[in-house]
Amino acid sequence: MRPGPGGCCCRRPALPNGCVANGELRNGYVRSSPAVAAASAAASSQIHHVTQNGGLYKRPFNEAFEETPMLVAVLTYVGYGVLTLFGYLRDFLRHWRIEKCHHATEREEQKDFVSLYQDFENFYTRNLYMRIRDNWNRPICSVPGAKVDIMERHSHDYNWSFKYTGNIIKDVINMGSYNYLGFAKNTGTCKEAAARVLEEYGAGVCSSRQEIGNLDKHEELEKLVARFLGVEAAMAYGMGFATNSMNIPAIVGKGCLILSDELNHASLVLGARLSGATIRIFKHNNMQSLEKLLKDAIVYGQPRTRRPWKKILILVEGIYSMEGSIVRLPEVIALKKKYKSYLYLDEAHSIGALGPTGRGVVEYFGLNPEDVDVMMGTFTKSFGAAGGYIGGRKELIDYLRTHSHSAVYATSLSPPVVEQIITSMKCVMGEDGTNLGKECVQQLAENTRYFRRRLKEMGFIIYGNEDSPVVPLMLYMPAKIGAFGREMLKRNIGVVVVGFPATPIIESRARFCLSAAHTKEILDTALKEINEVGDLLQLKYSRHRLVPLLDRPFDETTYEETED
Amino acid sequence: MRRGVNRTAYEESWGWSHAWESCVLKQLFSSLRGTASESGSPRGGKMNVGTAHSEVNPNTRVMNSRGIWLSYVLAIGLLHVVLLSIPFVSVPVVWTLTNLIHNMGMYIFLHTVKGTPFETPDQGKARLLTHWEQMDYGVQFTASRKFLTITPIVLYFLTSFYTKYDQLHFILNTVSLMSVLIPKLPQLHGVRIFGINKY
Repeated sequence: MRPGPGGCCCRRPALPNGCVANGELRNGYVRSSPAVAAASAAASSQIHHVTQNGGLYKRPFNEAFEETPMLVAVLTYVGYGVLTLFGYLRDFLRHWRIEKCHHATEREEQKDFVSLYQDFENFYTRNLYMRIRDNWNRPICSVPGAKVDIMERHSHDYNWSFKYTGNIIKDVINMGSYNYLGFAKNTGTCKEAAARVLEEYGAGVCSSRQEIGNLDKHEELEKLVARFLGVEAAMAYGMGFATNSMNIPAIVGKGCLILSDELNHASLVLGARLSGATIRIFKHNNMQSLEKLLKDAIVYGQPRTRRPWKKILILVEGIYSMEGSIVRLPEVIALKKKYKSYLYLDEAHSIGALGPTGRGVVEYFGLNPEDVDVMMGTFTKSFGAAGGYIGGRKELIDYLRTHSHSAVYATSLSPPVVEQIITSMKCVMGEDGTNLGKECVQQLAENTRYFRRRLKEMGFIIYGNEDSPVVPLMLYMPAKIGAFGREMLKRNIGVVVVGFPATPIIESRARFCLSAAHTKEILDTALKEINEVGDLLQLKYSRHRLVPLLDRPFDETTYEETED
Repeated sequence: MRRGVNRTAYEESWGWSHAWESCVLKQLFSSLRGTASESGSPRGGKMNVGTAHSEVNPNTRVMNSRGIWLSYVLAIGLLHVVLLSIPFVSVPVVWTLTNLIHNMGMYIFLHTVKGTPFETPDQGKARLLTHWEQMDYGVQFTASRKFLTITPIVLYFLTSFYTKYDQLHFILNTVSLMSVLIPKLPQLHGVRIFGINKY
C-alpha cells in the first residue's frame, strides 16, 4: 500500500534504515512528515514485503484506521443535533402531558422531593436509544452457530414495548457471535463428551476451588491449557470478566504502576481500579506513547515521594474487539524488556483465532510465550464454553491459587463446561486424531482475509488489522445505525451495531465477527447483501479504491495494490 | 472559589483576566490546533461496563472530535442565512439577531445545561457541571476552549461592523457578548453566582 500524505491514516512500521541501526523503535505516521514519507516511500516499496523494524516483525503488520471524511463528520453532527433538538421537544411534550410518557416518573406527591430519577441522564436512552432499540437484545431460539433462529417481534408504541408475533425468522446468518472456531453447535464430539460428563459429575460444583470444588477435571483442564499455551502452569476460573477483575488486584497493589491501553475492556479497567495501583493510559497501540510513559515512570518514580515504582505492569489485549486491531506485541515485549516491566496480555478474542495452530497472538508473531508474564484468556469465544484462564510461571499460578479472589471465593467451573473446553482444545491441538482443528483455524484465516478484502473492494471503511476476525464497518451517522441493523435483518443477516457513547461520537459502526463455521457460500451471500445495503444507505465512504484481485489463490503473501 | 463582588477580589480578578487575555493571544496562533489528549489531564481508570473505551465521560471529548469546529461555524452561517431570508428585516438587525441568538444558544447549551445526557461510570461527578466545565476534564486553555471563546468575539466584531456601530445595537451586542464570555473565565469555573443553577 502506498500511503498518500492526505487521506489515509495507516499506521505501519515503516522504518528508514537509520533507526534500525540505533535499535530505536518507531511506528511511523506517514502523514506527519512529508519529507520522511517521500524519502521512505521509495524505500518502503522495497521493504514492503520483507521483514520490517529490524526483524522484530516476521510478517507485515497491516493495520489501517481510515480517517472520517469531513462531510460525513459534519452530517453526523447535524444528525445528532437534530435528534437532540427533537429530544428536547419530545421531553417538553411529555412533561406537559401532551404526549404519553412511557418511562418511570415519580408519583405526584413526591414531585417536590429530591428527584429519584435523573431525568437528564436518561436523555440519550429515552430519545435516541429507544428509537432503534429493536436492533439489540433480539431473542434467539436456536444454538447460535453459523446460522441462528430469531424470534420475530414488533412494537406498536415505537419500541417502548415489544410483542412476539409467533413467527420465527429461521436461518439468519449469524455475524454477531464470537464463534471464531465454530464450536458453538449442539452436535458432534464436544456435545457428546459434555453430555457424558454431565451424567457422571452433575451440573454444578457448589463450591469454590479451595473448599471442595476442585475436581480432577479441573486439574486435567489446567494441565491441558498450560500445554496449549506453552507455559509452565495455568489456572481456570468460572467467568472471564472475573478472571481479569479479581486477578489484577492480586498481582499489583498500591505503589505499583499500571500502563493500560486506551481501549482496554471494562474487566481490565475494573481490575486495575480495584487493585489500588496508579493507572496511566497510553494511546491505543501507540508504542511511542507507551515508551514515553515508561521513561517518565522510571525517571520520575512515584508522584510525590519520587521512590521507584514497586512494579510496572503493562495491560494490553490481543485483539481489541471494537477496533479489530491487533496489539503490536513484538514492540511491547521489546519495550518491556528494555524498561524491566511486566506484561499482562488479555487474549480474550485472539486465543484460537490467530496463529497457524490457533495458539493466539504470541504464536501469530512467532514470539516466545515465556516473554509474556501473565497470559490471560477466555474460553467463551473460540472454545464455545465459558470461563477464563491465566497462564504463566508456576510460582505465579501457585500464588494466584491462594491469593486471587476468584480462586478463593468464586465457584469453580461446572464439569460439562470443563469437558467442552477440554474436547474443543484437544480438537484445536489435533490430539483427538482428526484434522478438524487445523482446518477450522485455516478456514477462519481464509474467511478473514477474504471477507475483509471483499469489503474493502466494495468501498466500505473497515477498521483494524487484516488478520483480525473482528471486522468493524463504519456507519458514522446515527440514523444509519438503526437502518443498517434493520435492513440486514430483513435480508436474513444478523449483525451487531454499536453507537455513541460506547464508541466515540462520530465513529458508530457495525461489527462483524467471522467464524470458521461460515462457508464461502454464506460469506458470499452476506457480502452480496452488505453490498446492496451499502448502496441503499450510501455507506461506501472509502476514498481508497482497491484494485480487485482476479483469481489469486489464498496465500499468506498476497497483497493488494491501492489506487488513490 | 470567589463569590460575589469583594473589592480586592474584584481588582485581583481583573488583574488575572488581563494576564489571561494576553496569555490567550500569545498562545493563539502558536498552538490553536493542539490535540487535547496531550493536555495531560489526570485520568484514573474507572469502571466502564458497556463501552468500548476507557473514557469516563465522553462529553469531555466531543468538542475535540473531527469536524465539529467546522460544523459549528457552518451552523452559525446557516442561522445567519435563515435570518437574512426573512423579509422586511434590515441587514444590521439580522446581524444583531444572529449575534444574540448565537450567544443565547451558547449560554444555554454550554453554561446552563448541566450533567451528561447518558449515565457515566463515575457515579455522577459531572452532574453539577455545565458542559463548559466538563470540557477536557476542567483543564483550561485547551484548543477547543480557545476556539469557543474566539468565535463569539469574531462574531461580535462582524456584527459591530455591519451595524455601523449604532448605539442601541452596540449595547445589546456587548451585553450579550459579556454574558457569554464571563462564564468562560477560568476564575468562574464551578462558580454559581447567587446560587443560580446550582443543582
